[in-house]
Amino acid sequence: MNLPLQEQETPVPQWEEELAKVGFVRRLLRARKWYGADWWFVAISSVMVLGFIVVALFPQWFAPYGPHEQDGPRFLAPGDQPDLPLLIVRADSGFTSLEDLATGPDSEVSRPPIAVVRGAPTAGSLREQAALIDDELQDADTGMRLRPNIQRFDTVEEVLQSVQDGESFAAVMSSVQFEEVADQFPDLEAPTDISGGVASAGDFTLGTNQIGQDVLSRLIWGTRIALIIGFSSSLVALFLGVPLGLVAGYAGGKVDRIMTVFMDSLYAFPGLILAIAITAVLGPSVLNVIIAIAVLYIPTYYRIVRGQTLSVKQEVYVEAARSIGAKAGTILRRYIYPNVIPSVSIIFSVNIADAIITGAGLSFLGLGLPPSTADWGIDIARGQEFIQNAWWLVTFPGLAIMLVVLAFTMLGEGLTEILNPKLRDR
Amino acid sequence: MANPDILYSIRNLTVEYQTRHGVVKGVDDVSLDIRRGEILGLVGESGSGKSTLGKAMMRLRNGSARITAGELWFDGQDLMKLSERQMRDLRGSRLGMVFQDPMTSLNPVQRIVEHLAETMLTHEPEWTEEEARERAENLVERLGIRRERVKDYPHQMSGGMRQRVMIALALALNCDLVIADEPTTSLDVIVEAKFLDLLKELRDEFNLTILLITHNIGVVAEVADRVAVMYAAKLAEIGNVNDVFEKPLHPYTEGLLKSVPNIELDSGALYKMQGSPPDLSSPPSGCRFHPRCPYMMEEVCPVYEPPFERPEGASEDCRVACWLHHPHPQKVAIGA
Amino acid sequence: MPETRVGHAAGTAPAEEPTPLVEVRGVKKHFPLQTGFLASLFNRGETPAVRAVDGVDFEIRRGEVFGLAGESGSGKSTVGRLVLNLLEPTEGTVLFDGMDLSKLSEDEMRRLRSRMQIIFQDPLASLNPRMTIGEAIAHPLEIHEPELSEGQRRRRVLEMLEAVGMNPPTSYADKYPHQSSGGQRQRIVIARALVTRPELIVADEPIAMADVSVRSALLDLMMRLKEEFDLTYLFITHDLATAKYVCDRIAIMYLGRIVEVGPLKSVYGAPAHPYTQALLDAVPVPDPRHRRTQPMPRGEIPSPIDPPSGCRFHPRCPIAQMGLCDVEDPQLMEVPESDNHLAACLLRAGPRAFREQTPPV
Repeated sequence: MNLPLQEQETPVPQWEEELAKVGFVRRLLRARKWYGADWWFVAISSVMVLGFIVVALFPQWFAPYGPHEQDGPRFLAPGDQPDLPLLIVRADSGFTSLEDLATGPDSEVSRPPIAVVRGAPTAGSLREQAALIDDELQDADTGMRLRPNIQRFDTVEEVLQSVQDGESFAAVMSSVQFEEVADQFPDLEAPTDISGGVASAGDFTLGTNQIGQDVLSRLIWGTRIALIIGFSSSLVALFLGVPLGLVAGYAGGKVDRIMTVFMDSLYAFPGLILAIAITAVLGPSVLNVIIAIAVLYIPTYYRIVRGQTLSVKQEVYVEAARSIGAKAGTILRRYIYPNVIPSVSIIFSVNIADAIITGAGLSFLGLGLPPSTADWGIDIARGQEFIQNAWWLVTFPGLAIMLVVLAFTMLGEGLTEILNPKLRDR
Repeated sequence: MANPDILYSIRNLTVEYQTRHGVVKGVDDVSLDIRRGEILGLVGESGSGKSTLGKAMMRLRNGSARITAGELWFDGQDLMKLSERQMRDLRGSRLGMVFQDPMTSLNPVQRIVEHLAETMLTHEPEWTEEEARERAENLVERLGIRRERVKDYPHQMSGGMRQRVMIALALALNCDLVIADEPTTSLDVIVEAKFLDLLKELRDEFNLTILLITHNIGVVAEVADRVAVMYAAKLAEIGNVNDVFEKPLHPYTEGLLKSVPNIELDSGALYKMQGSPPDLSSPPSGCRFHPRCPYMMEEVCPVYEPPFERPEGASEDCRVACWLHHPHPQKVAIGA
Repeated sequence: MPETRVGHAAGTAPAEEPTPLVEVRGVKKHFPLQTGFLASLFNRGETPAVRAVDGVDFEIRRGEVFGLAGESGSGKSTVGRLVLNLLEPTEGTVLFDGMDLSKLSEDEMRRLRSRMQIIFQDPLASLNPRMTIGEAIAHPLEIHEPELSEGQRRRRVLEMLEAVGMNPPTSYADKYPHQSSGGQRQRIVIARALVTRPELIVADEPIAMADVSVRSALLDLMMRLKEEFDLTYLFITHDLATAKYVCDRIAIMYLGRIVEVGPLKSVYGAPAHPYTQALLDAVPVPDPRHRRTQPMPRGEIPSPIDPPSGCRFHPRCPIAQMGLCDVEDPQLMEVPESDNHLAACLLRAGPRAFREQTPPV
């Protein structure tokens, strides 16, 4: 029986020879010509993934605030400016910020009078801010102090009148209150808010949550936890699932049967439920979440590797390896494993996406992570009751999850397209 | 086409397909006539373009291959002008094809008799189902398979039987031309011999015209009336089978014949052809065989492509593309 | 035209040596079929099996090219693997250099492999796509000659590449198999097979997948290497025409048995077994003046699961005698007027043939 002649007999095409000579980067760029849309898919998603990884590694560079700082007003909508109390002074006074009111040993007045509306919360903010500045001044050891003498008046007009008349050096009130009557006092102006910075939009770009934490910062810090969980659990699953799959596939027989039955039953469990069960038993901590999710995915790697091993085992080159006298361990290591692993690396990326979403699901349900962690799932869980009034509490963490998962999935799928046909061609 | 003797005429056919490195010509300016009632053997190695040519003749989809130039005339009809629907009617009713691996051409979940009957009914809707089945059984028996086997599924039959079923399909509708692409390559030698006998019988009994595409020149010698040799997407030589085998004109044909073992000869020397078939994406300049040709003429062969024509004094059937047989290669060299 | 001798004095066996390199005695290899539960109830205890090799005896002498020819289902590839102990026989023994392979420990068998190698039919499939050509050729050295330094190994690899005609060797050693051309791949496999200087090479259809125009160059290479490295070949093929050019002795297999064996000239020149005759007739001759006129045996090769009774070829045999050939299962017996030529045919070999002197058809 003659055998079919395949393209095997064509000589090495010239372009392949040329390509072999060219470096890795050039090859990547040239790849665009061949792979078309798939190349863009992979390129865009790898940029995204890289971006997420950088953010996760160095959140402090990107987040304006720490994950737990409650610096802002509560429920600030994205794009809104926080309603900080303004410092109001006479336009000719030369004061431009609260620090300007500091006094030294040779000042006329050691305790500058500052007017506020009786009962308004701005008095508290003033005292806080002044205390902060006072501490700074004391540390600087310049002899300057800021200890305002707070004057209370009944109405906004009376407060401003006292500044106008020169009785008080400055007044502190909310911008809303000032704007209502600002035209009555043309000599007065509000150069800054009492924190010293020019009131700027973008302090809390995506708004704040119910306890005054910056949503954007929590989003950024949440990336870290999400990626840690995603990568770690996938890695653990890989390091356990791959060797087990290799051994089961190569050894066959009873070993294979027992392991497969076990893995299949694990695999048959609905994922989230299994993870819930495990975290419920182990208790809330990042490590336990990682373990729970890893257990979920070990069967995935096991099955894929076992299947690949079974088919690679039949290949002629494995028989050839046996015929030259290689031992089983060598065959597994040098002949089977390298030919099985490409299929694994492809699903690794998609697996991370899956792990992230499972992790978010777990923390959404309140399981797994300690409640103080900055995590997207937790944020969504906490924000869901306010969804009508403060939609941004739920939307942005949700979007973040979606984008990260999308990026990893795209990367994995794109790589599959690019790597597989090449593997098949050979 | 005026000549009624010629069943299928290919004129300057070029087929191109896409590879990673650009466009490749799988068939390059090939012209060929197939005469009624003959068995024409088309010989070539992999990369020669023979299979691409066969599929193009049926205008079958073949990866990214497209016919970019040339004409295909079947029994006076211009095939390039036909719609896909009209081609489909032609295929199976007048143009039959037998492939190398019949497993992939036969529906694995359909019994042979159903497949045959269904094909017949598609092309001859006036027949009844019983008529179609009866005819299928008769055909299968004529081809040497026991009638009862007609109820088998493809996987229950051997390779040789499946190939016969493919022929039965072609015959079922009174095909005029059967294109057989490596039909015996996957068969054992005795089965192959019987299959070749069958082809000859069918040619005699039904006046079937057969284009036999193969890499095995022994097979061609056994059954063909005329032989065409392809190399690197072009025709190298064509002629009457006796002429070509006795006195091959093209050095490739000569080398091929000398390097193939002949069981009837006392074992002596087997000629070693140097080099290997070329890469079609960047074929050699001038005559494509020149890097492997022992008779290569330095000034001419690597530079100019030889025309495919009848050498002086050769019989009418004969054509070859080689500067050795050109009356004035020197003139070509100086550009005259 | 430059001509190169591929065939040498084919048909004559070299002077007989005391110990054959390989001895195969009564070897059978049955592959049990998976049957469903119900079917196994009806089998009455006997699991049906594919009787790929069903009782084979032969020997391979040092320095010869022993051909093993047959069609599909003949069991020739299985025999090749049994000879190398890549498969274990269901019954029978395989001796290599006098040693019973089944009695060796795993370690001893592994070490023995440096002396016997195989060349597969599909060169690309038999090379690990993740190992470079150099690594693939070096691997047997790593296993069997671990005392070699990396530099020494590399030198041996390059020597080997040169020996198989891949020049300059350094440009190939670091490439991957898929980067080599079709004609080169089998050379790489040959290089790997020869790097430990084995004595026996089992070549399983070594040129079947090569382009027609490069086959003779490959055969020539194999024969040259045989001289250079003092090799013995078990040449497995379905192509009787090629076998004629390289084999000293040849055995023809049918349905798991050897039906004829002997010096090539004798078997080809005066085939005794009707199947051999049919095979030889069937081979297409590249000469239109000598087209086959002889008829072919009827029917097709039966299934190796359930071979015919008596002589396995009898349902298809043109000279079969009912009452004899369908009852008695012939062994390999001497063919009259021949030297060392045996056939398993009740009518053409053995006592009856000597008595009746039935002439070949």
